Amino acid sequence: MRLTTGTRIAALAAATALLASACSGGGDDAGSDDGGSAAGPVELTFWTWTPNMEKVVDLWNAEHPDITVTVNKQDGGDPAITKLLTAIKAGSGAPDIMQAEYQKIPQLVSSDALADLSGTIGDDVAGHFADGVWDAVTLGSDAVYAVPQDSGPMQFYYRADVFEKLGIDVPTTWDEYADAARTVHEADPKAYLGTFSANDAGWFSGLTQQAGASWYGIDGDAWSVDIDSDATTKVAEYWGDLVEEGVIDNKPMYTPEWNAGLNDGTQVGWLSAIWAPGVLEGNAADTAGKWKMAPMPQWDADAPATGAWGGSATAVTSQSEHPEQAAEFITWLNTDPEAVQALVDDAGIYPADVPASTEALSDPPEFFSNQPDFYEVAAQTAQTVQPFTYGPNINVAYSAYNDEFAKATKAKKADAFVDAVGAMQQITLDDLKNQGFNVSE
Amino acid sequence: MTTLTSPLPADAPPARDAARRPARGGRRAWRGAGERPSAVATAVLLVGALYCLLPVVWVVVASTKSGAELFSTFTFAPSTHLADNVADLSGYRGGLFWRWMLNTALYAGVGAVLSTLVSAMAGYGLAKYTFAGKNAVFNVLLAGVLVPAVVLAIPQYLLLAELDLTNTYWSVLLPSIISPYGIYLARIYAAAAVPDEVVEAARTDGASETRTFFQVAVPMLVPGLVTVFLFQFVAIWNNFMLPYIMLGDDKLFPITVGLSGLLNQGASQPAMYTLVITGALLSILPLVALFFALQRFWQVDLAAGAVKS
Amino acid sequence: MTTTTAAPPARATGPSTSGRRRLAPWGFLAPAIVLFVLFLALPIAYAVYLSFRTEKVSGLGLGSGSRTEVWAGLSNYAAALGDPEFLASVGRVALYGLIVVPTMLGLALLFALLLDSRRARTRTFSRTAIFLPYAVPAVISSLLWGFLYLPGVSPFYDLFERFGWDVPSLFEGDLVMFAVANIAVWGGTGFNMIVIYTALKAVPSELYEAAELDGASQVAVAWRIKIPIVTPSIIMTAVFSMIATLQVFAEPTTLRPLSNAISTTWTPLMKVYRDAFTRGDLYSAAATSVIIAAATFVLSFGFLRLVQGRAFGQEK
Repeated sequence: MRLTTGTRIAALAAATALLASACSGGGDDAGSDDGGSAAGPVELTFWTWTPNMEKVVDLWNAEHPDITVTVNKQDGGDPAITKLLTAIKAGSGAPDIMQAEYQKIPQLVSSDALADLSGTIGDDVAGHFADGVWDAVTLGSDAVYAVPQDSGPMQFYYRADVFEKLGIDVPTTWDEYADAARTVHEADPKAYLGTFSANDAGWFSGLTQQAGASWYGIDGDAWSVDIDSDATTKVAEYWGDLVEEGVIDNKPMYTPEWNAGLNDGTQVGWLSAIWAPGVLEGNAADTAGKWKMAPMPQWDADAPATGAWGGSATAVTSQSEHPEQAAEFITWLNTDPEAVQALVDDAGIYPADVPASTEALSDPPEFFSNQPDFYEVAAQTAQTVQPFTYGPNINVAYSAYNDEFAKATKAKKADAFVDAVGAMQQITLDDLKNQGFNVSE
Repeated sequence: MTTLTSPLPADAPPARDAARRPARGGRRAWRGAGERPSAVATAVLLVGALYCLLPVVWVVVASTKSGAELFSTFTFAPSTHLADNVADLSGYRGGLFWRWMLNTALYAGVGAVLSTLVSAMAGYGLAKYTFAGKNAVFNVLLAGVLVPAVVLAIPQYLLLAELDLTNTYWSVLLPSIISPYGIYLARIYAAAAVPDEVVEAARTDGASETRTFFQVAVPMLVPGLVTVFLFQFVAIWNNFMLPYIMLGDDKLFPITVGLSGLLNQGASQPAMYTLVITGALLSILPLVALFFALQRFWQVDLAAGAVKS
Repeated sequence: MTTTTAAPPARATGPSTSGRRRLAPWGFLAPAIVLFVLFLALPIAYAVYLSFRTEKVSGLGLGSGSRTEVWAGLSNYAAALGDPEFLASVGRVALYGLIVVPTMLGLALLFALLLDSRRARTRTFSRTAIFLPYAVPAVISSLLWGFLYLPGVSPFYDLFERFGWDVPSLFEGDLVMFAVANIAVWGGTGFNMIVIYTALKAVPSELYEAAELDGASQVAVAWRIKIPIVTPSIIMTAVFSMIATLQVFAEPTTLRPLSNAISTTWTPLMKVYRDAFTRGDLYSAAATSVIIAAATFVLSFGFLRLVQGRAFGQEK
């Protein structure tokens, strides 16, 4: 180990040079500053976690040499929002374009992270989307904070072969669902028709949305928090009873164990959303051709309803120096027939754009090739999505859901489920008041 | 410390020997007993080794399985899909995984070299000089270990945003260079391995302070500095919070942030699990290789430098 | 700190102390100090500043500029100290530390003594194997153990079932504490073993030989000679392990999605993370972290004070 000082310095210099070249190679894309906005080619960065989004963006880049979009792949909705909000706070570092789940939009708007596009995008854009979806990006105001990308109407996915073997009819009401859950669990004590997941607040809010809940409201210039409404409490009590009875599992979704359960047949059904085929295909490849989709079980069979789980919009951030070009891109991405077709084919999403999606979605997903009317059923359910308002501290409500319902599912007591709803209401309301929002009670 | 007494019953015979107190043959007897293999001692070590290897064996086996086999075949039954998995991983977003590996090597390699240099200088300065405020400086530097990385991430981000350095290699590299623990170790090593007389002799020969450090002290410190280097290398390699917050562009990610992203996507695209597991295996290999290569430094007697000179 | 005692105090032996010599240590310290100020001191100071601030929203909070930062006095601290979730997380971490630190250091010392005794075979293999987990980032090791814990995919539960044992899931109820502790012990034992082993190798062999001439057994040698000599190393590893324990974060965070028994505020740092990143409330997060840092300081120094007299007293 007798290196001379010279060698050591040379090694250090080499390392530094490597570093310098690496830095100049990768460090110049964020917050790029091209001077004037109209003249010259414009470079835009786009944070998204949609799979294969770069392929869709390539189509745009091929046709628009003046406006080049670069995709920065993100881990998912929550981490991306965290990073965006940090960058907004710092005053630099945010991308031009951002994918955002619908429930995050009020929070982002209240943090001044999104640009208002109402003067920038065409008036015809609103007409592409269902009213409820459009409301989610305008927050009921005159402003436009994003263009909807995809939506996630909920349906019931089940193992048709198991249902047939056990002689179960597809449940159309929640009472029938409970009976089916009992039958499944009695036939095989290891099998469950579903699980109540304390990890997936979006799933639970979708279930309450179906029952008619809306966790927030705007009364004039004040927010209201309505998590502990009768509708939410009804849903919590229903699931609490089933978990206490032991006929519904209490383990979280999206764990390796749950994945294995879908594949080996111990998870017989899944209350999920339109994007479920992709997850099932990846998780439960052995069960291809055995699943079917049906509308959600109903509280009132005469008034079919459903909720939404997932779905996101594309927004322009308040730090973008080229909001007009960015708006042009996101409008193209979500309403141009070619782009929407590519979103369906490459990214596997269920587009929010109504005219383009009917065109793009003809054949059922491959994993559901045994159900030719898959997208017809889906379109019917999509029309029954109930209105729902998200609030500016939905992040607090969601993390309260994780903690409170984790306690309740661990306890396996119906009372604990109802208490959890009360605790969520209290935590969310206290936080909103504490932050200084106008709150009406 | 009760653990100590139970696993070493093999020591009982020498103890009885001790009672007899063989006057001269003692040395031989002790050496013999000391080097006679003990089945119990071996077994205890092997159980420890097995416990530590178990998850590693799991990841090796799991990385040979296809996505469909992962949750369906017996856990420790290997399969034949390792090459496919590595190919899939390499194909992910145009070989991004290898870019992450290179980035990690850059962050950890360059960061650890610079960190070792800075720590060695500071440790030497603290160990070999007397000056006013020395203990205050040392205590303040050391207090840095008290503040968790999670807390520092956002203020560091805001600070680097001022300098327009977020989302660059610098944003991860620069904060990684300062290491209170590294300085702490370097100070101990410098105090133990570099005798004052040697430093004094170099000065008498007319060497400058800098020259004394680089040409006299550093060679004596090398074994200790390799330890500091390894320590920092692993610390940067494992650091998650800092790059996670600083970097938006996944071409700049180190492996931990990249894999955790894949894992998060695993929620909606479970095929990613196989990629994550294969990636975890591949990411551990360079560190294992590094440990093997530098293994002898972990055995270095810290007093050796002082004794030799 | 105690380290000054652990390492022989440096004395400037030369008769003349030139100006150059007086400036030299500062020159050597300069890079460390500059980097420390930039990347540790300033961010810490900023975090402390933030801990006295808060953000107030006006109206619906939807227009731009509806958020303003204002002084909060001590209210963030009062809120943190009065938060039952925070206090519960402190209690959990205390228990967690009582499990992890003695187990990990006990095993590390045991393995180090066995390696040093030369009586065990397969020492090189074992040393490498036990040290190996140190190379595995906490995020990845938690992922690996997570797979081994989950009854649905774990080979152990497969075996338990074959034997007809009904072993409860580690992810149900309070057992989850052991699930997390095991990962920390697994990851930390090897490193601490090497630290202690290195210290053991520094023990001059004359000391053993003298004891051996008296006919001392291996256990007696370990107890009477080796352990006292490596005590300073053990104490320092204990202090650093305690600090790491108070900052436990990555393992439970990675396991959380797998278990209903780990809340988002399961450890103090998880609460900091939730406040800062999930709730976007940097201000409470900063106050909580200041409290954690202060507690770490008091505990580690208190511990050193407690053991210092005995441990380092012997050395002198």
